[in-house]
Amino acid sequence: MLFFSEKSLTAWLNHLMLDRTVLAPVRGTNDLVYFQSITNSEAIFIKSQNAALSPKDWFFPRSETIMSFITKDGKTQIIPATMEKDAVIFGIRPCDARAISLIDRPFLAEPVDALYQERRNRTALVGIACVTVCQECFCTSMGSGPFDPGALDIMLTPVDSGFAVQVVTDKGKKLLEKAIIQDRELTLPKPPEVKPVPSAGVTEAMRRVFNNVYWDRVADRCIHCNICAFVCPCCYCFDVRDYKGKDRIERVRSWESCESALFTRAAGGHNPRPSKGARMRQRFAHKLLYFPEIFGELKCTGCGRCVRNCPVNIDIREIIHDVQKLARE
Amino acid sequence: MPERNALVPSPATVRSVIDLTPDVKLFNVELDDPSERDRFDYRPGQFAFLSAYGVGEAPFGIVSLASRKDGIEFAIRKVGTVTAALHDLEPGASVGIRGPHGNSFPMESFKGKNIHIIGGGIGFAPLRPVVWYILDHRADYGDLLILNAARTPADLCFASEFETWAASPRTRVELTVDKGDTGWQGRVALAPDVVKELRLSPQNAIAITCGPPIMIRFTLVRLKELGFADDQIVTTLEQKMKCGIGKCARCNVGGTYICQDGPVFTLAQISRFIEQF
Repeated sequence: MLFFSEKSLTAWLNHLMLDRTVLAPVRGTNDLVYFQSITNSEAIFIKSQNAALSPKDWFFPRSETIMSFITKDGKTQIIPATMEKDAVIFGIRPCDARAISLIDRPFLAEPVDALYQERRNRTALVGIACVTVCQECFCTSMGSGPFDPGALDIMLTPVDSGFAVQVVTDKGKKLLEKAIIQDRELTLPKPPEVKPVPSAGVTEAMRRVFNNVYWDRVADRCIHCNICAFVCPCCYCFDVRDYKGKDRIERVRSWESCESALFTRAAGGHNPRPSKGARMRQRFAHKLLYFPEIFGELKCTGCGRCVRNCPVNIDIREIIHDVQKLARE
Repeated sequence: MPERNALVPSPATVRSVIDLTPDVKLFNVELDDPSERDRFDYRPGQFAFLSAYGVGEAPFGIVSLASRKDGIEFAIRKVGTVTAALHDLEPGASVGIRGPHGNSFPMESFKGKNIHIIGGGIGFAPLRPVVWYILDHRADYGDLLILNAARTPADLCFASEFETWAASPRTRVELTVDKGDTGWQGRVALAPDVVKELRLSPQNAIAITCGPPIMIRFTLVRLKELGFADDQIVTTLEQKMKCGIGKCARCNVGGTYICQDGPVFTLAQISRFIEQF
């Protein structure tokens, strides 16, 4: 089995930083852990459970200029945004890597989202297996698991004084060319127990309870903060706006939530989805009904962030449970 | 890098701006790059995004026909910030065009059929290329009825073309307004009531309709009363959109993306949407 000692892992990461952007979980002053671009591997903090936010925003930033317009002598020049350096995301968890592979489905479908595709092609994912789980995790019910290497390029599993290394893709193999890795006997930890949710058959159940008053009832307590969409590692609805700068116009893409009242409101005021219940249903229907219909997979990874962050305790695990129950009635 | 970035518009220039009604202008736009003009081939029913640089981008039905090779036309009602900015543009102004997007009216499968076109207000705009297409291939289609409805006589879109349309063989143009004015001697009635009054025949026919939601709702009721089956009724939907390429999820209704699966649907298809608007 391949083994990375802590020392050679650090050396490898420092080597990668010479010509790449390396993102890794870093503990902030508020004790929360976020993915940040690092220049020294000492900043990495992987002792905690998953980061407060997934590194989705590396591929799909919360707000970014996707192109600029510069007018010179009456002619408008359009400059699409591009990526500077290749990148490595170190310390991503299996669920968050899976989330990115879910966003790939629409964004890499023809016609591709060019900027996203470039970032995806030029970024490697080095994941760390979860040896403990959060209270709100349910990844094993969503097609992944604490030790799932599926959406990663390299998977590292914590073992005594280092990591077991699993090379998953060619991209991962290439990235490890300069790494000092030993081949030795290793005892792998056991994957932790994850509490399941009844996700099997939830798509059909969603279809059956689509017109149930249940959605209005749950939505009643929603306060429209949209935090569920913004912490979700696989939500990808967006807005596009123009901003006038001094010498250029920037076209900016930003995260948007399908639960926002303005999401479907057309110029002139007509809103085809005016009720809160219908908008909340849209969010869960996209995850559990439409996305599976189109791509064959549930659009949730069981990371638990929406559960942790919702100020009024709307809990997707509970929703799945209720939908299954209502569908049987 | 892929050859084209699907979110980046192509630079274009406004060739002409004509007032169609007090709040609708017809823009004729030409792509700046001649090779882009060849690439930008489109079919009746497709739409494109127009950029008013610095204000934003919005989707509009294309109201011209590619085969007429006379610029790309959009009929735009001033209703929000982007449309207001577009209305301020004059010939020679720079804009961006992105598209064409979406499916189109299945003109091939309409061949040999009688066609009823029922449009209300700015909703007639996406139907104009259908009228043009049938006029340009007149022998391929049966009788053509065009019903154009508007709030007032001044709000009737494409009024300068009615005579040309009516002069085509086996073609009838009917106009109606919700409220007449002193010079108006035509019909004063709501579009669905005119549909009933004209007793449109479903025999070997297709009804194509577009207009404000309330007009569509009652027009569908009347058409069904007249015996039209759901797959004989065709409409084109609009939804707020930001990308037009199935990513932003703004136009997602049920499992359907209006931008890619539509905007043209039969009533049979729409009634299968799990979410009904």
